[in-house]
Amino acid sequence: MLANWCPHCVPLSDRNVRTLARRLRVPVQRLDIDRPAQLKVADRLVRSHGDRSPDYLIPQVFLEWSDGKVDHLFTGFSEEVARTRRAWHDFLTSDWLRRIEHGSG
Amino acid sequence: MARPSAVPPVVARALRPAHPKCYRHCERETLPHTVRTALPGELRVFACPGGVVSVASYTEWSDRDPQSRLLRELRRRALPPSLVRRWDLRAASRHGPELGRTAERFLERARPVRPIRVVYWRVYPFEVRKIQHRLFACFRHGTGSAVFYAAPFDAAPGECPRCRTGSSRLRRR
Repeated sequence: MLANWCPHCVPLSDRNVRTLARRLRVPVQRLDIDRPAQLKVADRLVRSHGDRSPDYLIPQVFLEWSDGKVDHLFTGFSEEVARTRRAWHDFLTSDWLRRIEHGSG
Repeated sequence: MARPSAVPPVVARALRPAHPKCYRHCERETLPHTVRTALPGELRVFACPGGVVSVASYTEWSDRDPQSRLLRELRRRALPPSLVRRWDLRAASRHGPELGRTAERFLERARPVRPIRVVYWRVYPFEVRKIQHRLFACFRHGTGSAVFYAAPFDAAPGECPRCRTGSSRLRRR
C-alpha cells in the first residue's frame, strides 16, 4: 500500500515491489490510500497483518501465500528516503528472498 | 511469549540512518540523543543543533506493540503532556531481510522468533495563532534526559519551559 505523493513509495517502493514480484513470479496488488475503495482494503490489511497505528506508515508491503496466509514484509523507514532505499537494497539481496525464490523458504 | 528486550547491538547498528538531515527546518545533520526511559528498548531523539526534533525513534525486540507504553513515557517528558498525540506515533516492524545480511542472520538464528519493533514519533510543523511551531527538545536537564516542548520555528534553544522556570526561580531569590 502506498500513496503517490510519498517519496518513500513512488517511485522507490513501487519499483522495488515490481522487481520483487517478478522474482517471486506473483502478481502485484497496488493499494493507493488516496482512493477510498483501496484505502478500505489497505486499512483492513494493516489492522490484521501490518504495522497498526492511528495514522499508519506507508509504504507497507505484504505477501499472500497460496494457502491464504498473509505475511507483512516491509514498512518504510520514517527517518529518511535514503534509509528506505538502503532497506530495499538489503531486502532484494537477502538470504530470505533467495530462499523463497528457490522454493526453500 | 518472550519478554520485550533491548535491541542487540548488531541489529541496532543495522537500524541506524545514514545521514539524517533536519526535517523542514535547517537541513543541517541531526544528532541522535539517547534518552533514558523505564522501557526495555532504546529511545533516540534526532535533533538539529538548534534543538528542533526531526524524529524520535524507539526500538525494542518484542512480540508486543510498545506504542501505548511509549506514549506514557513521552508524555512524562513533554510540556505540556498533550503535545504527545497518539496519532503522531507510527509503528514499524523490522523482520531482518531489510536490515542487511549480518542483522538478518542474527535475527534468523535467535529464538523465539520475534521482530524488532520501531515506533517513530514525528510531529509535523503546526500553526499556533498563525505562527508556525516545531517540536523542540532540550537536553540540558541531565544525562539521558530530555524535555520536549513546542516553540516558534526560529526559537532559540533557551525557550525550554523547564529552563525558563529554573531561571525565574533564581531571579526571585
